[in-house]
Amino acid sequence: MTSGVNDSDLARVSARTTLLQATWNYDRQQGLGWAWCFAPVLERLYPDAATRRQRLAEHTSYFNTQPTLASLALGAVARVEEQRALGTGAEDDGVARVKMVLGSALAALGDRLFWFTLRPFVACLGALLALDASWLGALVLWITYNAVHLTLRFRGVAWGYRQGPLVLGQGMRDRLERAVGSLSVLGAALVGVVVAALLVPGGEPQSLPFQATLAGGLALGLITAQRARPSPTHWALGAGVLCVAAAWFR
Amino acid sequence: MTVRLLFTILLGGVAALDAVPVAQTFLSQPLVTGTLLGALWGDWRTALQVAIVLQILAATTVPVGARTPEDYAVGGVVGVGTALALSAGHTFSFAQDAAAMLGVSTGLAAALLGSGPIKWQRRLNEGLARWCEERLRLGDEGALGAAQRAAVVLAFAVGVAYCALGLGVAVVALRHLLEAESLKLARAWRLAQPLWLGLGLAQILHAFVHRRLSRIAVFGAALIAAWLVYVVGTP
Repeated sequence: MTSGVNDSDLARVSARTTLLQATWNYDRQQGLGWAWCFAPVLERLYPDAATRRQRLAEHTSYFNTQPTLASLALGAVARVEEQRALGTGAEDDGVARVKMVLGSALAALGDRLFWFTLRPFVACLGALLALDASWLGALVLWITYNAVHLTLRFRGVAWGYRQGPLVLGQGMRDRLERAVGSLSVLGAALVGVVVAALLVPGGEPQSLPFQATLAGGLALGLITAQRARPSPTHWALGAGVLCVAAAWFR
Repeated sequence: MTVRLLFTILLGGVAALDAVPVAQTFLSQPLVTGTLLGALWGDWRTALQVAIVLQILAATTVPVGARTPEDYAVGGVVGVGTALALSAGHTFSFAQDAAAMLGVSTGLAAALLGSGPIKWQRRLNEGLARWCEERLRLGDEGALGAAQRAAVVLAFAVGVAYCALGLGVAVVALRHLLEAESLKLARAWRLAQPLWLGLGLAQILHAFVHRRLSRIAVFGAALIAAWLVYVVGTP
């Protein structure tokens, strides 16, 4: 007799999401990690070992999304898999379809929220606090990021399960879009504060060469940001070599 | 010195784990690892000088899709570790600045070259995935857990090995350069530090602004307001 997914199964899935990317590879990307995270749900839904192994093999197929928001997809797919196991609605290919659609949609939103907004935001915040050689910067960076990351990672599975495939409905999408917008505005202001803190640390203006070089770096950065290649790291290495050369032959 | 180097190398392994394979809690960010190394080596100034530059430059390096980005996790540990190992025993600020210059340069190079070991590791994971699927077909459900464990051990080992190699090569190769040319390197640091910070901050600003004039205005207003507060002081 198949029983439904319970809170303990969802908690086990949440804990396993920390290893979602452990076996990341170019072929299946997060596929194997997804199967590892999802295994507690399958253990609950398919007591028959042969069927369970077949389902587990299906879940090792290609999957990739933003790793934090993958929790929402795991919860939503658990709901669909449950309906499939109980024979109450979902078709055989329904699980794969929901995985594919949620994977793409969550990647698009999650990449913007985490990689292009929250990550640079916490980096600026941490750097601002660390400018006067304080350990607080690292602590604030770590706590601020994880307040969002760990909350979504560990509670996301239960949210996804409750909402099912509609987890990324208009309400959630709007909330995440608003978060991206607000954080971007705050981030732009924060970059302004960091630049001011670099120009006049502790109220004492930096030397003119420092201010001019910082302005030069900002201008160079804004120009190079228009193209993905060469990367900022290549530009930074090149700039470093030029500075060493300038110091040597001055 | 040896014990500190050993802990630095182990931290490289932990950072390599946190960056992608396990949890992604940002423990691997250069500012966090740099602060930990600053406490370990007892030199906050040098550690944070290097860590802030690497953190600002790493902020817009993102692991989107199948792209293998620069490895700032181990690169950060190698960069800060190199600066701290080189500046150990030097009390003059110009020697510490010279060590910071070499530390950031080494960190950037290590981050750039670090995408190689990550790509290799990911290709090994393809073999691991095929092995796991084969075992699953044969009825061995435990293969899934074994594959996860193997991948975690591999990531830690690669992180530790790469960090040890980077740190070892940098410290041995750059020690004489620091001792012979610390004044010139310190002068280069005074030029490079603001240039690097400006370059990184502009990349971050570009990520926030998305060609919206209102956000550029917010940046400008915040810059002027903060500048006034720093110069005049709060009312």
